[in-house]
Amino acid sequence: MQELYVAGDTWLHRLGAGWKLLALALAGTLMFGLRSAGPLALACLAVAAVLWSASIGWQRFWAQARWLAVLTVFVAGFTAWVQGAEAGAVAGLRMASLIGLALAVTFTTTASALVDALAAGLRPLHRRGWIDADHAAFTIALTLRFVPELQRRWLAIREAQAARGIRASPIRLVVPMVVAILQAADAVAEAIDARGYPPERDREGARAACPSDETSARN
Amino acid sequence: MLIELDGVGVEREGRPVLAGLDLSLTERRIGIVGANGSGKSTLLRLFNGLAIPSAGRLRVDGLDPVTQARQVRRRVGFVFQNPDLQIVMPLVSEDLAFGLRNLGAPRQDVGPRIDAVLRQLGIEALASRHCHALSGGEKQLVALAAVLVMEPAILVFDEPTTLLDLRHRLRLGRCLAELPQAAIVASHDLDWLAGFDRILVLEAGRVVLDDAPAVALPWYRRRQEA
Repeated sequence: MQELYVAGDTWLHRLGAGWKLLALALAGTLMFGLRSAGPLALACLAVAAVLWSASIGWQRFWAQARWLAVLTVFVAGFTAWVQGAEAGAVAGLRMASLIGLALAVTFTTTASALVDALAAGLRPLHRRGWIDADHAAFTIALTLRFVPELQRRWLAIREAQAARGIRASPIRLVVPMVVAILQAADAVAEAIDARGYPPERDREGARAACPSDETSARN
Repeated sequence: MLIELDGVGVEREGRPVLAGLDLSLTERRIGIVGANGSGKSTLLRLFNGLAIPSAGRLRVDGLDPVTQARQVRRRVGFVFQNPDLQIVMPLVSEDLAFGLRNLGAPRQDVGPRIDAVLRQLGIEALASRHCHALSGGEKQLVALAAVLVMEPAILVFDEPTTLLDLRHRLRLGRCLAELPQAAIVASHDLDWLAGFDRILVLEAGRVVLDDAPAVALPWYRRRQEA
């Protein structure tokens, strides 16, 4: 997802992340209510129009969508083989529409906007003390940030082993990877502490419902 | 800004990492040199509460970095050696906003403050870039921007040039020279520290020389060559 956001000023970029997530959830529910190919084909066209209006660019879209397209064709083909052509078309169109909508959201929404929207969505649970909305949202943002770093480390370990003539195997890669992740986790935790996390407003009461908020134990 | 250390020591797993440090740091540019494992990073970490003294008394602007870490971290910004592990948000602008949000900055101030800092460092064009796609030098400048945006009175740099090529090393040096904040820099890059006001030389957790760069840097170089 980190690669997906495309800066722009279209109506979809300007629309709030919360509204986009809500629309995605509603559209997803609606798609599963549609059971014939005709309406789903119209829905697919509507999604294409939404994507086009977001000015993402065909190449960028296709770079992300091609493997999902392969998967969609596979699911549609398998469903057609097992349940008939109409069912296959319904499955394929539904999946294509949902993937298109999800991509439209991620192409036009920054990670922080999505995270803020998620935090806002989780706020009622936070108030009841069931979940810490800000920590949950920050955890997601942090995960998004470090996926490419972990990919980079994975490749570096594989290259280092290859350079020493060690054949790649999952176990040989996983052990140094886990060690690298644990070392990085310590450094990242320190960097987060140094930059004043958790936010000050949380200490002034917004987190009162969550007694386990004092994450910065080293403070 | 005044940092005072009075008999400060740090132990890790029963082994002294720093011992008997008595210092009063008031200069605008202070460099710390020493071999790997001499305690440079631990000393820097003391200044904003990331490391905890096991002996002695430490005050940063009159504040205790252990019990008043939050107030101290508002005053002391920390630039780590590896920006990959300091940058915590996917986009550059988001990463700069992270620190401001932690400070509780008003929402309407966040954008202008980010723009101002990016302009100050000449990296406005990076604002909407993905952090992982930046070069090492750009990442180090973003890491510095992320600290500067929080408007600390003092900057602490832990070997900031280690991962940089010559061009970015010089650029970071120019940025540092223009910053109004006080700075404490640990580095193996002696050229970088030549224009500083004061140099501390660390060996095995102790300050073995505390002098002007003209005296301390040649002394340290000779000692390393011996």
